Amino acid sequence: MSILPGIDSTPTTNELFEGTNEIHKLEIEKGYEWKVEVNAESKLVIEVKSGIAEIFGTELANDIEYSFYNNKFSILAVEDVSLEWRCPEIPEQKLMIGENKTAKYVYNLHFSLEKMRAASFDGPKVMIVGGSNTGKTALARTLCSYAIKYKSYQPMFINLNPEEGIFSVAGCLTATPISDILDVQSTIWGHSMTSGATMLHSKQPLVKTFGLEHIKENQDLYLATLKQLSEVVKLRLQNDVLVHRSGCIIDTPPISVMDDDLTELTTTFKEFNVNVVILLSDEQEDPLLTKLNDKLSTISSSFNLLRLPILSGVIERDDVFKRSLQRLAIREYFYGSPSVVLSPYTIGVDFEDITVWRPINFIENPEETSQLLPTQLLPVEVKPTTLQHALVAISYADRKANESNVQLAPTLGFGLITEVNDKRRKLRILLPVPGRLPDKAMILTAYRYLE
Amino acid sequence: MDSEADAIVKDFASILEELTFNSRPIITTLTKMAEENISYAQYFVDSLESRIEKCVPKQKLYAFYTLDSICKNAGSPYTIYFSRNLFQLYKKTYLLVDNNVRQKLISMFKTWMAPNESTGLPLFDKSALDKIEQFLIKASALHQKNFQSMLPTPTVPLLLKEIDKLNLLTTERLKEKPDDEKLNIKLVVLSQLKQELQKEKLTTAALKPVQMQLMQVFAQDQQLLQERLRQEQYQKEQQQLQKKQNQFNPLGDIDQQQQRQQGSSHNPLFGNSLGLKPPGASALFPTSTLLTGQDFSEFEKASKLSKLHKLYESLESEGLVYKPPKDSVVNLFSTFNKGHSGASEIDADSKKAPLPSVTELHNILSDCKAYFATVNIDILNTPSLQISQKTIVGNNEIVHNNLINTLYRSKPKKCNVCGKRFGNSLEERRLQSDHLDWHFRINKRIKGSENTLTGSGNAGGISSTSQKNIQSRNWYLHDSQWVIFKDDEIVSTSNTLDNTAKVTTANVENSTRAISSGSMYDAAKETSPNTSERAILIDENLLRKKYVVVPESSEDMSFQCPICKETVSALYDEDLGEWTWKGSMEYNGKYFHAICYYEAAKNNNNSIGLELDLEKLKNLISE
Ligand SMILES: [Zn+2]
Ligand SMILES: [Zn+2]
Repeated sequence: MSILPGIDSTPTTNELFEGTNEIHKLEIEKGYEWKVEVNAESKLVIEVKSGIAEIFGTELANDIEYSFYNNKFSILAVEDVSLEWRCPEIPEQKLMIGENKTAKYVYNLHFSLEKMRAASFDGPKVMIVGGSNTGKTALARTLCSYAIKYKSYQPMFINLNPEEGIFSVAGCLTATPISDILDVQSTIWGHSMTSGATMLHSKQPLVKTFGLEHIKENQDLYLATLKQLSEVVKLRLQNDVLVHRSGCIIDTPPISVMDDDLTELTTTFKEFNVNVVILLSDEQEDPLLTKLNDKLSTISSSFNLLRLPILSGVIERDDVFKRSLQRLAIREYFYGSPSVVLSPYTIGVDFEDITVWRPINFIENPEETSQLLPTQLLPVEVKPTTLQHALVAISYADRKANESNVQLAPTLGFGLITEVNDKRRKLRILLPVPGRLPDKAMILTAYRYLE
Repeated sequence: MDSEADAIVKDFASILEELTFNSRPIITTLTKMAEENISYAQYFVDSLESRIEKCVPKQKLYAFYTLDSICKNAGSPYTIYFSRNLFQLYKKTYLLVDNNVRQKLISMFKTWMAPNESTGLPLFDKSALDKIEQFLIKASALHQKNFQSMLPTPTVPLLLKEIDKLNLLTTERLKEKPDDEKLNIKLVVLSQLKQELQKEKLTTAALKPVQMQLMQVFAQDQQLLQERLRQEQYQKEQQQLQKKQNQFNPLGDIDQQQQRQQGSSHNPLFGNSLGLKPPGASALFPTSTLLTGQDFSEFEKASKLSKLHKLYESLESEGLVYKPPKDSVVNLFSTFNKGHSGASEIDADSKKAPLPSVTELHNILSDCKAYFATVNIDILNTPSLQISQKTIVGNNEIVHNNLINTLYRSKPKKCNVCGKRFGNSLEERRLQSDHLDWHFRINKRIKGSENTLTGSGNAGGISSTSQKNIQSRNWYLHDSQWVIFKDDEIVSTSNTLDNTAKVTTANVENSTRAISSGSMYDAAKETSPNTSERAILIDENLLRKKYVVVPESSEDMSFQCPICKETVSALYDEDLGEWTWKGSMEYNGKYFHAICYYEAAKNNNNSIGLELDLEKLKNLISE
């Protein structure tokens, strides 16, 4: 990719003050994009002065400041854009600005989907497939954003990658009708419902707890969770004409984390009645294309399998960055974002007041096998080593409900165990909602969060 | 009037004082002030009315243009207030000014009569406009009379000259419609008349009716020509109007009117008897007669000039040429015209007004393009959108050139808070204004809490972080709630946004399993609002702790609990730095003792005609 220098390079005394928060001007030519990386310690402020700029398909308002922390994204100039930005940590000379060569395909795809929406009450069910760093989530986000721009569609975004938290924390699978614009500043796309006023409309996700980080740690549980999600999604579609017509955009985990038989994908395909499959790959004759076609053809005969090149705007996301996003998602769940500050609530409870279960992790504990059902939950002993700093899912099942009920229960929300005092047999739990601790069973997730 | 209001009103008046020429920037500024300070509308109206009354006649028109601009841009209540004295003001002004300005006043008046796009009503109160209309009809009749008396004493050569001119015009029209019987007859009649005139010696008194008749015929012909020019202009304008409608224009109608004005260029030949403007046009920046002259002469020049010249020469050689006196119809026409252009420093001035910025022009142009690119788009019948490898990974012209605009500029109104786009249809406009209202309310809520924070903080509030607008993440809905949830509940901008608005919140008591297709019916039933059957116990201590910050709108700092009828007075809370009603809560805009509310809700006491909801109460308590 060609890297162009920032256009405005008038050498001024400002350069002497590198590291200060000076305002830079930048012009991005139509069809070009600026790939931006902001680390967790810095803050990038962008203000579009003229033209049309969008991030993952969401158009930025002009003359409004947008702030970005710990984020990687591309700003696409739909028309010539001039903007102002400031961020002491980004050197002006090293901006990554290049031509976006894939936007036109995304538009083509979007309008094909739009035609399907216009043609039938049963909108397109799109499954996006690809390796790591191919732009799957970016494509899903862009398609959702476009879908709500012309008509007031409400596409259902479905996240099946448990390593990513969208409108929620990582470790779960979610389905969220996208009924209004997404927050370009947010790595988790925006807020789920809060009790108060938010600058943009919040979203109402359906959350199913998987609890583990990696699918292969318990594939059966992953598939079971996926099916639980799809069951409820199907009912929502039956009840919600608008979402039904708008269709589903399904983001899947990277190919590399799934098994060779593509079981996760074939299950998704079947459970969500997928009729459009998009593979993101730069290989013209990607063998995966044939493989997918063979596998999926045995399930359904009416689907379209397409290959799209890896998206132009993709920026490599390494494990460190993914971790930081997971942490950010947990923090946002409890504390909100800079623009929507939330007040979580800490309560103290006795050891006896909580019941915690955990999913079986076959990678960490290979001995836990044979006689147990893979999806079975195991009781967790309340002690510091197991629960300190742990993120727990609070289920709708009563605290004393039996294991299978807990496994099947919807998710009420999450709690963070901030302190486990063995001597006094007391815990402190951070809850999103003030009040008493719901008398509910909990599921221990693989995520820890130290404030 | 408080001091701020006083300052704004004085400001307005002093800017108005400077309106001694037709200044677009000044009028724009005044309009904006009026738009932004609706609450001082009456003061602005007073100020403008007195300006129109008191300023020298020459400047009255500009003040009227300001009135026009404010009413067209800000609308009510200005239109209502101005309607009261409009007729008197208009009449007085009309009688004081010269014909040129009268013409402009009439043009402006005509735009007032045009029904508003959204309301279908004229700009001002119908009765005021009717009075003005009656007045103008009378005035123009008078004008007509004066005009007659101003006509030159008819002489044979003068009339012959007129006939020649008429002949010319008729021949011109005949070129377009060679088969027009009437025109042919007219030509014959004209030539007969000419012969008669040349033959006989008539008295002046006898000539007079001939002159009048000729004048009328002349006017008719002129009018027809005018009509045609106007038609062309109108079409042009319509196109511009359409384009204009699709663009985001922060300056509102002023630019629009300006543009339309430049496009419209019909010629008010005989003043008010002909000056018809297409509906919707405004008189804010008067017609440039310079342009008109060009248009008209271009039409004539090619054929007529040479012919005229020949005719003139031949007539002169015959000694038949009569040099018309200064006050002949012909000269009158030209002086009128000249006078018009001579008095048009105004126009020159408005032309000198700075062009909009390049960005803005670009926006206008792009919006127009987007409009035309999408005007007849029907996605269902668009070929080459069938989903396939070839259509997706290829160059799809219709997507690239047309459809893509549906995502951007075909909805030209971009929210300047969040970037969301809105179209031009009435429905979209309504959505946009609801949307902006929503932003406004949200901002007020967020900012409002900040303000009370800094305002009430004892030691310089910024560091104090206690917040009134405390919010937290909600629990996720139960599956059975989520499947019947509609996002309209969230995105509907018409819902009130206070905490007590009806919102679906998690039914925490529900401990059933995830639902499956089979159990759907039961599940839906289970979440139906039968919560009253389920005892919800609430700690009364929590209820006592509940308080309401006394709203600014409260006049006597107290309320009467609708349940126990006791009056609750405000107490100052040192910690909060706010006046509060202790042990109270708000529900649907009403205030209650929290405990009274709880008791009533628990006992399902609906005698006070309120929908009492324990679930809701529980949420309120837990806030
Ligand atoms: Zn907005
Ligand atoms: Zn009471």
